[in-house]
Amino acid sequence: MEQTNFIYALLAGGAIAAAGGTIGSFALLRRMALVGDALSHVALPGIALGLIFHFDPFLGAFVFLALGTLIIWMVEHKTKLPVDTLVGVVFTLALAAGALLSTEEEILDTLFGDITTVSGLDMFMAVAISLVIIALLLYFYKKFSLTLISPDLSLSVGYKPHMLELLFLTIFALGVAVGIKFTGVLLIGSLVIIPPATARNIAWSMKSYIRLSAFFGVLGAILGIFAAKIYGLAPGPVFVIIAGVFFFVSVFWRRR
Amino acid sequence: MPILEVKNLSVWRDRKPVLEGISFSVEKGENLAVIGPNGAGKTTLFRAILGAQKFRGEIIKAEGARIGYVPQKLDLERDLPITVREFLTLMPHEGTDKNHSPESVLSMVGLATEFLKRKIGELSSGELQRIMVAWSVIGHPDLLLFDEPTASIDIAGQETVYELLRKLQDERGLAIIIISHDLSVVYKYAGKVLCLNKDQICFGPPAEVLTPFELEKLYGEKKKFYYHIHEKHGTN
Repeated sequence: MEQTNFIYALLAGGAIAAAGGTIGSFALLRRMALVGDALSHVALPGIALGLIFHFDPFLGAFVFLALGTLIIWMVEHKTKLPVDTLVGVVFTLALAAGALLSTEEEILDTLFGDITTVSGLDMFMAVAISLVIIALLLYFYKKFSLTLISPDLSLSVGYKPHMLELLFLTIFALGVAVGIKFTGVLLIGSLVIIPPATARNIAWSMKSYIRLSAFFGVLGAILGIFAAKIYGLAPGPVFVIIAGVFFFVSVFWRRR
Repeated sequence: MPILEVKNLSVWRDRKPVLEGISFSVEKGENLAVIGPNGAGKTTLFRAILGAQKFRGEIIKAEGARIGYVPQKLDLERDLPITVREFLTLMPHEGTDKNHSPESVLSMVGLATEFLKRKIGELSSGELQRIMVAWSVIGHPDLLLFDEPTASIDIAGQETVYELLRKLQDERGLAIIIISHDLSVVYKYAGKVLCLNKDQICFGPPAEVLTPFELEKLYGEKKKFYYHIHEKHGTN
């Protein structure tokens, strides 16, 4: 039984990390990653409500994240408020509300994740959603790349950069919702930031960059889950540390 | 039928006029220069034509006309992991015929095929500007909006970019609207000139409409400064 859970964890963790890496490779084209990281805190009250009212916490997380995404997007395009200020205010509020709504045991899992407890259904969900995320990103590859590199150029060829940004943020929110099981709310940023940052130091083209981002995510996840099992540690934080080591190695690679 | 016709265009921002009562038209193969001091609304005019700016009045494009756009500057991060070939192929209508393949547009702007493998973040500003012209041409534009960079390009590089634009115009019948900061460029390359300072000060062939009176109305005290820069260019 434990063996089955371990395989589930590997499959779910690998798929989530591949999706996270692919999302991050786009997000890092424009310095969007930290907004997304802060956004992840909005998931907490959604998860807590799911636990209190007995519905799937993933659903609660995604609804709250989608709302958070819409708020960021509207503030950015419809008002003159600085986005980072709003992110700082609203998202710490959400974190506080989530903390009050959760009990102490639950909170540790929510903050740092635990992929070793995934059920068969959870695993299938995680793999399916991760594949949908990757497929969407590849399908919109040209539109997202151009919009994130330069909204003006995107507009000049007839795209709608604002709508594409909203679509991208929604995919980002979906990735965060599915990734929370693995790394938790606090470390989710590592899934989308560290593998692409590593890939960027090595990549020679956009294609290689996206592929390497997914690759470093998956490699970190598999090594992390194995190491966590061997040493009896939490897989989420171990993944982050392994991914961090890859990153520092890649910095030296670049300096050569 | 003109490629682009603008009638009585006004743009207001924060209850203040940024552009008012602008009317002009651009025919196929024509080169229109837009001049005016900083804050005159030149870039706003481009944004309105591109559809990125709300406006009052009319902007009529010929049916099916495609617009290419070369921005004044592209703030690229230096380590952006995208090659010139990948960048050029992000254009939606790219490479549908031999004259518009990444290789052919690159040779058109005078860059070697090896550039296709270079990352765009590693290019010099002159090289990047040529890539931007190649980028706009690869999408088969009928009208090119060219926002001239103010200082980043060296003089030799600048002249060849104008020659390049003229070549594109002759060979492909492209209409060009160029925002220019240099009156010598306007006299040398533009068929018509549009002078903006929130209002429309003049519109017509440069030799006819760029009278000392109009220039003073346009730039005020700054006119002397402009000529000064121009002289300095000449001696380099």
